[in-house]
Amino acid sequence: MNKFLIGLLSLTLLFSCKNSEEKNKDAENEKQEVNVYTHRHYESDQELFKQFEEETGITVNVINANADELIQKMSMEGEQSPADVLITVDAGRLERAKSGDLLQAVSSETLENTIPSHLKDADNYWFGLTKRARVIAYAKDRVDESELSTYEDLASNKWNDKLLIRSSGNIYNQSLMASIMVHNGEEEAKKWAEAVVENMARAPKGNDRDQVKAVVAGEGDLAVVNTYYIGKLLNSEDPEEVKAGESIELFFPNQNGRGTHINVSGAGVAKYAPNKDNAIKFIEFLISEKAQKVFAHSNYEYPVNNAVAPAALLQEWGEFKEDTLNLSKLGENNKKAVMLFDEAGWK
Amino acid sequence: MKQAGNNSDIFSIKSRLRRVKRDTNRWSIFTLAIVLFITLPVIAIAVKLLEGPGETWWHLVDNLLLDYIGNSFFLIVACSLLVLITGVGTAWLVARFEFPFRKQLEWLLILPLAIPSYIVAYAYAGVFDYGGSLNLIFRFLDLEFIRIDIMNKFGLAYVLSISLFPYVYVSSRAFFLNQAGNLLEASTMLGVGEFKSFFKLMLPLARPAIIAGLILVLMEVLNDYGAAQYFGVNTFTTGIFRAWFSLEEPETAVYLSALLIFIVFALILIEKWQRKSIQVTGNKASRHIHRKTGTKLMQNLKFILVLIPVILGFFIPVAQLTYWAFLTAEKVFDLDFILLSLQSFGIALITSLVTVLFATLLIYFAKWSNTSGIKSLSKFGVLGYAIPGAVVAIGVMIPTLAFDKWFIGVMDSVFEVKTGFLFNGTLVALVYAYSVRFMAVAHNPIESTALKVSNSIPDSSKMLGVGNFKTFFKIEFPLIKTGILSAMILVFIDVLKELPLTLILKPFHINTLAVKAFEYASDEMVMEAAIPSLFIIFTATIPVIFLNKLLIKD
Repeated sequence: MNKFLIGLLSLTLLFSCKNSEEKNKDAENEKQEVNVYTHRHYESDQELFKQFEEETGITVNVINANADELIQKMSMEGEQSPADVLITVDAGRLERAKSGDLLQAVSSETLENTIPSHLKDADNYWFGLTKRARVIAYAKDRVDESELSTYEDLASNKWNDKLLIRSSGNIYNQSLMASIMVHNGEEEAKKWAEAVVENMARAPKGNDRDQVKAVVAGEGDLAVVNTYYIGKLLNSEDPEEVKAGESIELFFPNQNGRGTHINVSGAGVAKYAPNKDNAIKFIEFLISEKAQKVFAHSNYEYPVNNAVAPAALLQEWGEFKEDTLNLSKLGENNKKAVMLFDEAGWK
Repeated sequence: MKQAGNNSDIFSIKSRLRRVKRDTNRWSIFTLAIVLFITLPVIAIAVKLLEGPGETWWHLVDNLLLDYIGNSFFLIVACSLLVLITGVGTAWLVARFEFPFRKQLEWLLILPLAIPSYIVAYAYAGVFDYGGSLNLIFRFLDLEFIRIDIMNKFGLAYVLSISLFPYVYVSSRAFFLNQAGNLLEASTMLGVGEFKSFFKLMLPLARPAIIAGLILVLMEVLNDYGAAQYFGVNTFTTGIFRAWFSLEEPETAVYLSALLIFIVFALILIEKWQRKSIQVTGNKASRHIHRKTGTKLMQNLKFILVLIPVILGFFIPVAQLTYWAFLTAEKVFDLDFILLSLQSFGIALITSLVTVLFATLLIYFAKWSNTSGIKSLSKFGVLGYAIPGAVVAIGVMIPTLAFDKWFIGVMDSVFEVKTGFLFNGTLVALVYAYSVRFMAVAHNPIESTALKVSNSIPDSSKMLGVGNFKTFFKIEFPLIKTGILSAMILVFIDVLKELPLTLILKPFHINTLAVKAFEYASDEMVMEAAIPSLFIIFTATIPVIFLNKLLIKD
């Protein structure tokens, strides 16, 4: 009996909590706030949100989830969606949000002038915040730098049973595939994927760090990974991971051609943003020099704001030429890329 | 005089019968209402089936479906075997025999449940990794390191089994402790050997209890995303995520979910058929088993046998996590974790109360309805457990948003008041979704204890004119209390671990430990995820010990 009373009591409590929450919401409307739906969940971001709150007095409310889930949520919520800003870790998802009519164009001189044109939407629906390059990590003792050249070359016979790369479910691989499709055509891209599958040292599994560790363990000679994870590996708390990071070398592919493939994290203002002005202020803040420094230094990402230098570690790797293909193209071709992966048997 | 008395007796019996009939109808409607409420999200998703699959459906069928079916089938078979051997074996040993540390091991055997499967997967990968713990130990001993690769379907079956076997352990042990005593005594007196009486008598009798636990395990196995994805094994659930996210087709994802539900439904039917074919007569509570002691050697052997799954399922992952936590403590730990733990604890507690309330109502309304059709229908209430959390979240959003938008429209047009969502983005929607998802977890233990209560007492109480509710509180509730409490604790642990649904539905300002662990793990900061994971384990351990005390007392 008592248990049931407790149950009933909690139910009433629950509803009363809800009601008071509603009231709070009304009160909060007076207060300045910005509601952020983000796929990024890094310490650096939390630190920046806090800074933004302190500087502007605007409260930052955050929902963290997978970008696709957030997009689904926004589209279901429709006009009443509380979302002001959508942040994802790849341009493809922002493009999807744009084509799903979930974002709005924003006119901001700061944003337009600071961010290079290939790192933002042509119609100003979304803006890149940080960059990562997809590079080749290779075993120093088994591979000579001169043997490496392009992504296309990964399909060459000489890498048979030597290549490590994660599964095709990963968005960074999907974007890479989409870029190869755009540059070389569907036919070639499919052939490339098939040959890469042939060259794999093992069935794809694990994350980018695991690919590097497998190179160090001698399971293969080269791995395709994001620069950002190498930064994390080299600064890991685990001495074994640092050792793994130190025993490989990085190569930036396609330097003599179109440049190395990059992904961006980016942000867009929601179509029905209840706090549009704050949303713009928020994104402007994230590309300010101060914020870009935080991204660069604590998260090993390349800044989009050219006034800010990358972290020392990234500078050591040297400057590189990046593929300036507009990132919207990657989003448009993402689905096709995944289907090609499936047809090529890339797990 | 006499005749008049008889008449009035007959009259009153008739009126009582009429009342019973009326009640029956009422309870049927109530049962239907609860089933509808709980399955509304599932129905909302099912309706999408009518729209037909997306255009990538055939692409998926051509290229991937065989792989999904093969791997999922492999996991079902492999995990069933491993879980049955481990779960039933340990349950029998602790229920039947006396050996050193038996009491401690009894609750330690439940603890693997407290660690989310995907964290166990990460921990094991960390153990066997190049530069991992095993590697370090080998190096320390100056031995050549032989790397065992566990990141494949065999490793996945192992990891899932070792973290989920407690479901089978808990349900079969409850049976052995409460129901097996008399029969066992009889068989011993008849001179039947220990082995024979276990395989010929105990196993067949315990089958319903064992299968009930096994079905929970298999639902979890089919539902796993994190571990399968990390180990590179394509299953139905990884396929659902691929269809939805990578192929951008929720419709196709729904079709895959439907297939998955079909499999689970088949499993439920098998269980029903199992229960029918073996009508267990031991309905009444039985004497406790008198534990055998045996020789010192045999005692130690049993101790080691029972210790193995505890080491594999709990101590190894926890040791690995502790090592990582030690490395990252400075960077990750702050006082927010205490607050986070309290929030997680509160949400899990509220949810377990709500879910258990609904499960109990569902079971008893169906029982009072006294209609076999309604009783079978009430089984549908547990389907949510078979559906991936993210899909349940969408299923919950469909009806609640429809209501919210209607509500906003009415408020706007009739009262000219601008309001926000009433349910979405609040705790109510979150707790509702958890209840939908974990109804099976609450339903099973309550139902299996409810089945044990003989119908004669409540029936006579009702014939005496006592209402259903009063009979329930006075007679049945005390008898099924342990079932209700086990249900509460299992739901509590599951909510603590729950991730995909929480991510989508959680309100602003509210966070859970599982979300925190995921934030790190999903970004390849597995080591940093160790501290929140250990907090989950710690928060879950307290109720596990509590649960065990209650089960033993029963």
